Amino acid sequence: MHDLYSFFTGPFAWLTFIVFIGGSVWRFSSLWQLAQKKDGHVFEYMDTKFALRSIAHWLVPFGSRSMKLNPAMTVVTFLFHICLFITPIFVFGHVILWKENFNISWFTLPNAVADVMTFIVIASCIFFLWRRITLPEVKYLTTPSDFVILFIVAAPFITGFWVYHQFAGSAFMTIIHIISGEVMLMAIPFTKLFHMFLFPFTRGYIGSEFGGVRMAKDW
Amino acid sequence: MSESNSATESKNSGIKKIDDQGILKGVEGLTPEKIESVIQQVITNETGARLKVYVDTCVHCGLCSKGCHYYLSLNDPKFSPAGKVKQTLAEIMQKKGKVSPEFIKQAAVIAYTQCNLCKRCAMYCPFGLDVAYVMSVMRRICHKLGVVPLYIQDTAHSHSVTMNQMWVKDDEWVDTLMWQEEEAQEAFENLRIPLDIEGADLFYSVIGPEPKFRAQLIFQAAVIMNAVGENWTMPSMPGWDNSDMCMFTGDYEMMERLKRCHFESALNLRAKRIVMGECGHAFRSVYDVGNRALGWRMPPIEIIHAIDYFNELFEQNRIKIKKKFDTPVTLHDPCNVSRGRGLHDKARNLVNATCSNFIEMVPNREHNYCCSAGGGVINCGPPFKNARVESGKEKARQLLEAKEKGAKVVIAPCHNCHGGLEDIIHHYNVGMELKFFGDIIYEILDLP
Amino acid sequence: MKRFINNVVAAFVVAIIGVSLAVISYGTINAKECFDINKESVESNTNTRAFVCFEHDAHNEKASIESCDRCHHVYNEKGVLVDGESSEDQSCAECHAGGASTKSGDSKVLDIDLAAKYHKLCRDCHLTEKKGPVACVECHKK
Repeated sequence: MHDLYSFFTGPFAWLTFIVFIGGSVWRFSSLWQLAQKKDGHVFEYMDTKFALRSIAHWLVPFGSRSMKLNPAMTVVTFLFHICLFITPIFVFGHVILWKENFNISWFTLPNAVADVMTFIVIASCIFFLWRRITLPEVKYLTTPSDFVILFIVAAPFITGFWVYHQFAGSAFMTIIHIISGEVMLMAIPFTKLFHMFLFPFTRGYIGSEFGGVRMAKDW
Repeated sequence: MSESNSATESKNSGIKKIDDQGILKGVEGLTPEKIESVIQQVITNETGARLKVYVDTCVHCGLCSKGCHYYLSLNDPKFSPAGKVKQTLAEIMQKKGKVSPEFIKQAAVIAYTQCNLCKRCAMYCPFGLDVAYVMSVMRRICHKLGVVPLYIQDTAHSHSVTMNQMWVKDDEWVDTLMWQEEEAQEAFENLRIPLDIEGADLFYSVIGPEPKFRAQLIFQAAVIMNAVGENWTMPSMPGWDNSDMCMFTGDYEMMERLKRCHFESALNLRAKRIVMGECGHAFRSVYDVGNRALGWRMPPIEIIHAIDYFNELFEQNRIKIKKKFDTPVTLHDPCNVSRGRGLHDKARNLVNATCSNFIEMVPNREHNYCCSAGGGVINCGPPFKNARVESGKEKARQLLEAKEKGAKVVIAPCHNCHGGLEDIIHHYNVGMELKFFGDIIYEILDLP
Repeated sequence: MKRFINNVVAAFVVAIIGVSLAVISYGTINAKECFDINKESVESNTNTRAFVCFEHDAHNEKASIESCDRCHHVYNEKGVLVDGESSEDQSCAECHAGGASTKSGDSKVLDIDLAAKYHKLCRDCHLTEKKGPVACVECHKK
């Protein structure tokens, strides 16, 4: 237990940060360089105003016709993404670790709020799983790796919920929780989870094309 | 042949039977090595991060499905935009080009006949992934492999030989113009179709099928131009055809020649701007795709679509009408001028200026459904006609809804849309009449 | 299909509300004789984990700790640990005064600096000795 704890909060945590940040920088810069070499038009037509206009419409719930046609998905996906980001950053149990290790701290969430948000993430993952299994248009696209990614994302929240509520074996589950969080971070640069960094660019580019050349809305 | 045909009727494919000699003959000559080398050539030389990001970022959420009229009509996930990527570029990228001739056969059918490149899905994907671009890359690969549907390849051949889509010879072109001039003089005394006038305000270009099948459209345009006293001209030499099937087959070298010829034709005459007839894909080729291929950020000369031009005539009170067209009309927004150039508001101005009773079809404007004929799909000809009309089921439903609200005439300011909607209207017994804006304006025009 | 989707949304919302109510209404802390650092501030704070009852004498007996300076350490001005001196007559906050709470003297406000120091003191030793609790829940029991 002590050795595992030391390892996964020590060397392995550093490895995680290096892989996550280094991997993201590597993937992003290699795409950027490739784009500069091969996709000159992307830079030529990218337009800050139209890019932001498009991004704004797609970051507002029900801001696009697509979202209105899929109300359940819209509600779940917004709650999911908000909770996915806010909870781990602002839950007290994590902030105190930043304080202990890097002597920085910030606003924290009340436990009840963090707990509900964690539950939302888990419930959302179940919803996504249900979509993948039952909706034909999603099922057809789904590959085994999509299930793996869903599991990678859900795991830190399931284990976190477990530990917070002190279900059986929660001490050991803390180690699993730490590992699952690290696995998720390390997976980001190398899986479809990288969409978090690419969204502003893909959305911004199509927004620029629609706004600047096509003079039409893209939402 | 029949053996390889039955093999295509696999359960995993949305393709029933391939009866296209262009594709079947093309695939016969393929080897895995050739496929791999051509794919590598296209992927590494002609594409970059954009394709990679489009294929890799897709999280398989399926939200694009509702953006695609193929999916909505057929209710089959193989026809969703991401479903089509899965069956084409996603697998190619994953296997690094090591795919079979059989795969290419399927992929060609998907890319050429199951996607209208309408870009509606980009408005439904949260990431704005452009599946039309991915399908265009697939077409480019197929073109380089020589696996292109026969009928559209024939138009591409015509382009390369005659610089027009319909094998119209140089003398036939001038003959047709003079014939239409003569016909129109019966309606309008001293009417001229001025050829090769230098410094004209307006250079009028049309698509190959106009002189070939629909010469009355040139006649109508000439009457309108003369009625408003326009200082216009048409070219007597190649360059008059603004259409571009090479853009859709993936023959970009030929597309560049065509666009260059068209631009130069207008620029050599020192025309102030190009006005083009009611065609969508030609507009896309001149306004968006062709100019980029030639290195111009935007077209080197102002490009005005007929909707824009007619609207301008009404806004500037240059045109007189006897009375408004009073049969209830609905408007089909063509992808390439609405989603492609935002002309939907001007189109509505024009409808209101010319028609007394306008009924919207839903969805409309940027969200309108494609006619299922665009992107070169109708040009792939009879082997794919039934499949094309089947995928217009949702369009038929949309038209019938507008009909229930009272609309009797569909205005479709695009040649491709006319072809596609005609088939849909006939097949689904929609019972509506199709018109161009030019038809309506010609009908209500108050001739001096 | 639409009704089904609506039902799914409704079920989702009801489930969220239900769980939140359950979570909020749950949890009273049993008080017993404990070595108490800022107990009030911890108990009145809704964001922190449950108050830890540190049983001082039982701990030291179990861990066979005899010298006070093992925990109640003293550092000199240069930041070097002073051997043999201990600080059990001082409050931790006298040195480890990072937060506003100690300065204003309001003990009801949780001092995150102090909590961090306390965590490190316990856990670092437990990790070195490979004995005792290290995971959050091992001390912060509900």
